[in-house]
Amino acid sequence: MHALLLLVAPALLIAAAVLAFRGPAFRPAQGPKLAEGAAIAAFAAAVAAALALAAWGPATSPLIGIFGLGLSVRLDLLSVIMLLLVSFVGWVVLRFSATYLDGEDRQGPFTGWMAATLAAVMLLVTSGNLVLLVAAWIGTSYALHQLLLFYPDRAAAQRAGHKKWIVARIGDAGIIGAALLLIWQFGTGDIAGILANASEGGGLAVAAAAMLAVAALFKSAQFPTHGWLTEVMETPTPVSALLHAGVINAGGFLLIRFSDVLVATPGVLAVLVMVGGFTALFAGLVMLTQSAVKHSLAWSTIAQMGFMILQCGLALFPLALLHIVAHSLYKAHAFLATGGAVEQVASIRRPGAVAVPSAVAVGKAFLLAIGIYVLIGFLIGFDGKSPQAIALGAILIFGVAYLIAQGLADAAPSALTLRTGIVSIIAAVSYFALQRASEWLMAGTLAATPAPGPLEWALMVLTVFSFGMVAIAQAMFPNWAYHPAAAGLRVHLNNGLYANAVFDRLIGGWTARKAS
Amino acid sequence: MNKPLAKKFIQSVLADADDAGRMVPPAWPLNATVAVNPYLGQTGEDLARAGARLARAAGEPVTMPRAWYAAKIEAGALTDDDIAAALATVPGTALDAASVRAAVAASEAPPQALSTVADLAAQASGIDWPAIVTDRIGHWAAGWFDQGQALWAAPQGHGAYHAWRSYATHDLSTEIAGLSGFAAFVDAAPQRPDEALAQSSRALGLTEDARPTVFHRLFMTLGGWAQIARWRLWQAELKGGTDSALTEMLAIRLVFEDALLAHYHDDIGELWAETVKAHEAPLVPSDDQVIDMILQEAADRAAQRGLISTVSETHDPAKPERPAVQATFCIDVRSEVFRRALEGLSPEIETIGFAGFFGLPLLHRKFGSVLEETHLPVLLNPGVTSASATSSELTEKEDRVRILARTTRAWGRFKLAAVSSFAFVEAAGPIYVGKLFRDALGLPARAREHDPAPQLDPSLDLAARIDIADTVLRAMSMTSGFGRIVMLAGHGANVVNNAHASALHCGACGGQTGEVSARALAVLLNDPDVRNGVDKKGITIPEDTLFLGALHDTTTDTITLFTQDVKATKHRSGLKQLENWLTSAGQIARGERALRLPRADRESDIAHRSRDWAEVRPEWALAGCKAFIAAPRNRTAGKSLEGRAFLHSYDWKQDSDFGVLELIMTAPVVVASWISLQYYGSTVSPRTFGAGNKLLHNVVGGIGVIEGNGGPPRVGLSWQSVHDGEALAHEPLRLSVMIEAPREAMISVLEKHPGVRDLFDNRWLHLFALDEEGQVAWRYSGDLQWEAVDRPAKPKLTLVAAE
Repeated sequence: MHALLLLVAPALLIAAAVLAFRGPAFRPAQGPKLAEGAAIAAFAAAVAAALALAAWGPATSPLIGIFGLGLSVRLDLLSVIMLLLVSFVGWVVLRFSATYLDGEDRQGPFTGWMAATLAAVMLLVTSGNLVLLVAAWIGTSYALHQLLLFYPDRAAAQRAGHKKWIVARIGDAGIIGAALLLIWQFGTGDIAGILANASEGGGLAVAAAAMLAVAALFKSAQFPTHGWLTEVMETPTPVSALLHAGVINAGGFLLIRFSDVLVATPGVLAVLVMVGGFTALFAGLVMLTQSAVKHSLAWSTIAQMGFMILQCGLALFPLALLHIVAHSLYKAHAFLATGGAVEQVASIRRPGAVAVPSAVAVGKAFLLAIGIYVLIGFLIGFDGKSPQAIALGAILIFGVAYLIAQGLADAAPSALTLRTGIVSIIAAVSYFALQRASEWLMAGTLAATPAPGPLEWALMVLTVFSFGMVAIAQAMFPNWAYHPAAAGLRVHLNNGLYANAVFDRLIGGWTARKAS
Repeated sequence: MNKPLAKKFIQSVLADADDAGRMVPPAWPLNATVAVNPYLGQTGEDLARAGARLARAAGEPVTMPRAWYAAKIEAGALTDDDIAAALATVPGTALDAASVRAAVAASEAPPQALSTVADLAAQASGIDWPAIVTDRIGHWAAGWFDQGQALWAAPQGHGAYHAWRSYATHDLSTEIAGLSGFAAFVDAAPQRPDEALAQSSRALGLTEDARPTVFHRLFMTLGGWAQIARWRLWQAELKGGTDSALTEMLAIRLVFEDALLAHYHDDIGELWAETVKAHEAPLVPSDDQVIDMILQEAADRAAQRGLISTVSETHDPAKPERPAVQATFCIDVRSEVFRRALEGLSPEIETIGFAGFFGLPLLHRKFGSVLEETHLPVLLNPGVTSASATSSELTEKEDRVRILARTTRAWGRFKLAAVSSFAFVEAAGPIYVGKLFRDALGLPARAREHDPAPQLDPSLDLAARIDIADTVLRAMSMTSGFGRIVMLAGHGANVVNNAHASALHCGACGGQTGEVSARALAVLLNDPDVRNGVDKKGITIPEDTLFLGALHDTTTDTITLFTQDVKATKHRSGLKQLENWLTSAGQIARGERALRLPRADRESDIAHRSRDWAEVRPEWALAGCKAFIAAPRNRTAGKSLEGRAFLHSYDWKQDSDFGVLELIMTAPVVVASWISLQYYGSTVSPRTFGAGNKLLHNVVGGIGVIEGNGGPPRVGLSWQSVHDGEALAHEPLRLSVMIEAPREAMISVLEKHPGVRDLFDNRWLHLFALDEEGQVAWRYSGDLQWEAVDRPAKPKLTLVAAE
């Protein structure tokens, strides 16, 4: 019964939504305050659920329904962590919106839909049964759609919304298909029951895993379905914060939730590695060419979601969860703080030119970074680590090499070298510690990483190699990026390799609307 | 296949492009932005003709909807007399009061711009070509104008057109959208922008008569991009050079028109030829446009009534023997509230209004920065350079600050680069819990350490410093009667997470705060050698007079005193007293301002707003401004001008050759007109001259904002800055300039400066002369003529409240 505590949070937000819809639309005195209060109370309820989990262990609430199908919630570390995250981010965006939207004609309904979206996400992450999971999945999409079209007269909002609608329906089809196959295979909609028996899955389970992957890839804006996400700045900033820090995670959450089903299907994992890995690199490069702050952040989200899905594909589910949490916190803040972009750009110009590292300096930086990695490995211990985790660590340390390289540029004063060096070590230690903590915490809740076979080894080598190449190219950046031969590449990347342009063409995205 | 272009033809098209480009107002980048008169290119014509021009070029009105005037008439604020007086300003018109009143009752047809080829192509094909062209140009321009947002900067090429051509020959998007062969079309276009202008003009069949408004029309579709390019030209010309980005932008836009006409020629060829014919027709304001102008004139006059009676009230404040404090503020309307509050505290306080850069045309290097940034009105070139770190001790400290900034920057690049961004998230993401907490609650940030006092760098010789001091003091009409403490208060806004923060700073300091200027002048005037020198020139500053730099935070009405810059051993008690007064005045001023701000019920609500990252209306800035008064302060002291008047201290009797008058009318008055007309434009024409909805702002290139996902940068004021959600916070009126000076002296300034004269003759500004008693006695009626102002029968005690 203690699992029912999980329902307090979404219930509070549903109540807040109802009150907001019933209150005045313009300058509502109470609605936004109540919604913020509901989010705070929801966070407290999530803490209470965490304590209950610590005291009494994981559990699924009694089912409201028949034949193992219906509504129930699942209390475990995954649902509690996600609920804490969603209610915290929910509080921030609702509080922000209360001030930000003051004076808007439809502030009341805005607050209502925002609270409703949050409630749907909360139900999604706490679902104990496939029926609730599917309903919350679709409900999230529906409520979010209302927010994305908050200014329905904007043609660009309509265009992006239309694309989002199509992508979301395919995602819906994926999750409905996955749910039906899982029910067929396991004879129940109870998620905990399915996970417990996942290793016995047959061909249907493989198909189900594939459908889950489709749902996740479409929900989390993976290539080539990412276009809509780069265009939904047509709605007030806190919606973007909610989308990028909350809703977009649904795909990753789904994969993590069904980690036990997925580890039994190496082929599906391989697809996730390839699509996620490609999206991460592709979107990461596109991001470099974006001159508008919200576009840059949107491409960053696509890349980060790709990386998270890559982690899922490598069966590193605890790390994928860490990525979701860390990214959400970062991205919620980054979006809400976009008003500071002018000052940020000005402040990076003030200390003078950026020192460009030479090839030798880049080489040194990579050696140093690998040295740091090996050292940390010995200190924290490589033993017990899966090869997949070690490969992922290598990718991340390439990132740190970039930081070190900036300090090693010939033109950089030694004080700068020292400082960037210290910061690099802190960063490296910080994420290995966080990864370690995450693995320790989630052991037993999420599927363990299986020993790699030939396919996995091949994918790992490919991944480490391609990320390594991009990392080197990145560190060497100014030395090649302004060569005339790179000009065409920059144009193509700047336009996201035209995936979105083709999508627009296919659905008539640029159809002229009645002159407004 | 093409006939070669004659050199003369190219020259003439280029000249037309240049003229049309000057119809577009410049836009200063948001890192240091100032208000600009959106009608800058139209000040040579009156409102009706500007209305006809902008209707054709942008489909935009230049006045409020008729209903707005009707409501004023209904409320009795706008009277038959006002309409009659306004009619009298249009000599030879066939219109009469009855036709004006009838027009107010009828609803007007919204102005319709003439179509572009893209518009016609959209009608023919059902594909939204205007949006696609905007999107394509925007994608390229965002990179080309970017000041550091994208880590992979766009190539600059040999100018805008060259860079775009390289982009467009690679970009497949336009072809995917349906314009097949576009890349090849661009590849075949001339390599030189002037030839491209000429060739496209010829292909489009643009006659000499059609070109001016066709070009203006196309510039208007480029929105902020054209305005930023216009700014580049402005900056270059100020330095004696030139810049071609503006006309090159037109060349780019013309190539799109050319390509679309070639593609859809069979469908739209005839329609386009008709459109060109329409462009050839001379610009003649319609009756409706003349009526709009008359109504606006009448509305201006209606509002002036209250202003005139307030200024004309007799009031003789007690004058102390010697003021304990002389507080000098910027003329900015926000100072008026604070000055009134401060003066009310004690007769020993005197306040002075002067342009917030305090007469020092500074090029300043901030502490830790390598950039030299201008702190002066954008009409001027810097004349003095300064820096915050000039001693060796400070230089060492500055190095440390710079290393810290560079480490932060390296971390920022780590955060954004392709592969390292993943490492960043996993290493540092959880830190953002703290940041979200802090910002959501608006917890006070750690107090920023102020830069060391600015010093002239390189220092000027004594004679030059004495000259500057002498000029500045005379310009402030401060030649005698110095108080014990002379506070020089620059101003700046204190807001967070605000892309338009610099627009809230000091316009006279080029969008910087006035801190550096005020502190630099205080340092200069405290120098005993300088004081000796100005003494010899006839300005005696008592030895115990202390000049003190200060910063007025206009968002919270608190004042920071830079006592660390001065030796103030003899002024301890005076400073203590001053601090107390400033605290009390701040409370009073906040109390008054809270009444106007939404969600601020009392004075104490103000401080939190300045730290709230979600606040879109932290302060009203200059909304509501409607008057500029240059006169001794005792003419306006003790009267509430509601924070709507620029107050410039000026005593013409000390101005022997009227040099200061000329300065005031050509610099502060012009800057004030830019501000007033920016508010006007953003209110009457928010779609074109406003920055749109703050909730959708997306900072581009570190220099501008686009609204939502795309479109050109939006320039001007956001809707939230002129509207509180229920009603306009700014009443669109043209500024009333009131100067106490002999009329002949003003006339000779106007004769000497035709640009300034245009502003008054075409009624972009109203000019009044105050007489010897400080009464508003004369109205400038244009053409270097004056007419007597009717004295209000019974002086009213308050201003007519703005709607």
